[in-house]
Amino acid sequence: MSIIPWRNKRENRNGATAEEHPLARLRDEMDHLFERFWRDPWGSSFADLLPSGVGVGLRLNLAESENEVTVTAELPGVDPKDVEISVTDNLLTIRGEKKQEKEEKKRNYHYVERSFGSFHRSIPLPSSVDSNKVDAHYKNGVLTVTLQKRPEAKPKRIAVKTG
Amino acid sequence: MSTAMTVKKQEDKLARVERARDRRTYTPNVDIIETNDEFLVLADMPGVAPDAIDIQYEQGVLTMHGKVEPRQDEEKTNWLLREYGVGDFYRSFQLGEGIDCDKIEARLKDGVMELHLPKSEANKPRKIAVKAS
Repeated sequence: MSIIPWRNKRENRNGATAEEHPLARLRDEMDHLFERFWRDPWGSSFADLLPSGVGVGLRLNLAESENEVTVTAELPGVDPKDVEISVTDNLLTIRGEKKQEKEEKKRNYHYVERSFGSFHRSIPLPSSVDSNKVDAHYKNGVLTVTLQKRPEAKPKRIAVKTG
Repeated sequence: MSTAMTVKKQEDKLARVERARDRRTYTPNVDIIETNDEFLVLADMPGVAPDAIDIQYEQGVLTMHGKVEPRQDEEKTNWLLREYGVGDFYRSFQLGEGIDCDKIEARLKDGVMELHLPKSEANKPRKIAVKAS
């Protein structure tokens, strides 16, 4: 079994996928970079500072809300037992393996687009996250890791008194 | 192995209609495997619930459409990192004739759709014994 980077179709502006050609993907990646720069030139969103190339082949979405940070990854056909999640010093690591369904000889493949093999990815988390309060959930091929924020990092509402 | 049927991608007009919805539509990655008895289609559709998939086989054309519910409110979410998009999955194939329509079976487990399309009896390869005289 070879290690193939996890391929997840990336959208382009037409809503179609741009995976057919490596150059198309590079162009997409560059577009994305510029878009992000113009949206937020001084990089106040820490995503720009992330070494996004750490690890192989697992694309993540990271969303922040008032009370938690949610990490989601698409892992269709992965046995949750084969996924290992750890948090060390505010570094979240997801590793695992996607195993191929039993393979029979005398088979004739018309299309082979799905990929199998190991994946792993490490990303730094915002310091507001409490590494002891982490919850992982796998449903319909989507892995969701929920990380609670520290109480002191949650926004406090201050009531304005009148009078 | 002789391929009685040709599996080829179909330029699907329907996909464009689907894209007219306000959400994006993605093309799932598939494996299509032919054995003596059937065609097996495996499609990666993460986020699709078993009751949110629609599979049709009509006049030799197989169409699959998986609906994905948004995981977050896309507009209101503060994204720290966004490396993949979430949307429906749509794909269609021309499988030709020779499928036993009544015996098509589909399963969806952990975001992978497994579709069995048994060949009709007339289409299965037969071994012809050579008699020694």
